[in-house]
Amino acid sequence: MSASLTIARRELSSYFRLPVGWFTIALFLFLCGCVFGLIVLVPGKVASLRVFFGAAGWILLPVVPALSMRLFSEEMRSGTIEPLVTSPAREFSIVLGKYLGAASMLALMLLPTLLYAVILARVSARVPEPGPLAAGYLSLLLPGLFYLSIGTFCSALTNNQTLAFLATLFILVALMLASALGPAVAPLWLHPVLAWFSFETRIQDFAKGVIDLRHVIFFLIASVLPLTLAGVTLRARRLG
Amino acid sequence: MLEVRDIHKWYGAFHAVRGVGFRASRGEVVGLLGPNGAGKTTTIRMITGVFPPSQGTILIDGVSVLDQPEESRRRIGYLPESAPLYPEMSVLGYLNYRARLFDIPGRDRADALERALTIGSLQDVRRKRIGTLSKGFRQRVGLAAAALHHPGLLVLDEPANGLDPTQIKHMRETVRELARDSCVLLSSHILSEVELTCDRVVIIASGRVLADGTPAELRRAHASDASMLIEITESEATAAIISIRSTPGVSEVDSLKTDNGCRTLRVRLRPEHAAPRDTALAVARSLHGVGVVPRSLTSEDPSLERVFHALLETQASGSAA
Repeated sequence: MSASLTIARRELSSYFRLPVGWFTIALFLFLCGCVFGLIVLVPGKVASLRVFFGAAGWILLPVVPALSMRLFSEEMRSGTIEPLVTSPAREFSIVLGKYLGAASMLALMLLPTLLYAVILARVSARVPEPGPLAAGYLSLLLPGLFYLSIGTFCSALTNNQTLAFLATLFILVALMLASALGPAVAPLWLHPVLAWFSFETRIQDFAKGVIDLRHVIFFLIASVLPLTLAGVTLRARRLG
Repeated sequence: MLEVRDIHKWYGAFHAVRGVGFRASRGEVVGLLGPNGAGKTTTIRMITGVFPPSQGTILIDGVSVLDQPEESRRRIGYLPESAPLYPEMSVLGYLNYRARLFDIPGRDRADALERALTIGSLQDVRRKRIGTLSKGFRQRVGLAAAALHHPGLLVLDEPANGLDPTQIKHMRETVRELARDSCVLLSSHILSEVELTCDRVVIIASGRVLADGTPAELRRAHASDASMLIEITESEATAAIISIRSTPGVSEVDSLKTDNGCRTLRVRLRPEHAAPRDTALAVARSLHGVGVVPRSLTSEDPSLERVFHALLETQASGSAA
């Protein structure tokens, strides 16, 4: 665990030392600011952060792959993967460390958006309640963590950051489409299964202000699988 | 300290390393020499645990790289070729990161970092970003990071690559210093550098060990011919060359340089004809016979480069046969 934390710390700090990190934060906050300023904060309308959480979820689709694309790809391209894999850290500790670093960055990126709740509390007659607010943030954070795990896996597959970005984006869009179009094309008997696997429904539950522990566990377990695959990829690469 | 026993590596059908084996002890600098594609880096990567050998055993202080990978990696410091580093980190930040990765306890970390900074002579650039450093400094950061946890085995892949002569000299001194209480295995294609730095040399070609010994042993055993340098007056050069060429046991005479009216000749001797000392005497007599008095007459040790080329030629002719 100590190796994972060391790697996570280095990974997190590197986002703030590189232009790509600042650019990703700026892009995310700019888009979130646009949603808040143009859609949420409309004079004469009842302001609610629900719209913001729904839109920010979509903004995460290109932003998360931008966070995860360099995790392993850059190490493989520059050759720093060699000193890393020849350290005593195990493959799965390395994957966990990289993931935790990116996950911390995602959490930090969401932090400034709390300002919107403060602004809303000042200008709106209805003060945002803590419960739905927490559920709203979980609707961003939990899928974000799942997207990141897919991004980590894709980054472990290639030394090309652009390819890692596109592969992650493609998988995420494919999952979204499968989630949205699945019920329309699948036979009836498959609907309960699709509903269980659909993360779109779970995100909507959070957006409604419902914190269901089953949803939390679903996203956490769903994140473990791509991370395991990333560890297996790293080990397979070592075994040549 | 390091024991490599009959290791092989296959990449699909390609047999890259074919039964390499050698030993290295603490206090020794062992050079891994070979042409490009000889299997040096593959051998180094198997020793450092980047990937395992397809067959064979590697022991570091008796610990198997294959069976106890984490434990063996603690005993190795590795500087890969071209010293890959994180350009956005500061020198001290990177060394601190490596110290944590190798579990150096907090109470010992400050001392370990100071020692590493001293090894690389990095005190003045400790706060600088690695990306702003010159190639020589980056190489030193890589070396300091490799030696940070005081490993028993230091593996350096082409440590002098891309360095200027002053930086190469500094690297050589540092490597010799580190070898006082570690075993250093380094690969290089700069033969003169290996000769100056290494106690022992393992020559690899086509994935096989061609020779293993001290530079002196290799010169004795594998140099294709001995040679001597003769300095004569320029006006006597033609007569001297004709006379030397006709001496039994001489294979070739090269005219090297003319300086202040003196010509230097390199005379290559055939060791199979007679002992080089006897042939040298015959050359002296022959010169005396035509009335040429050499200004100086010295025997020339075959360089490691000649040993290296002689071995490669033998191997190539063996493969062709």
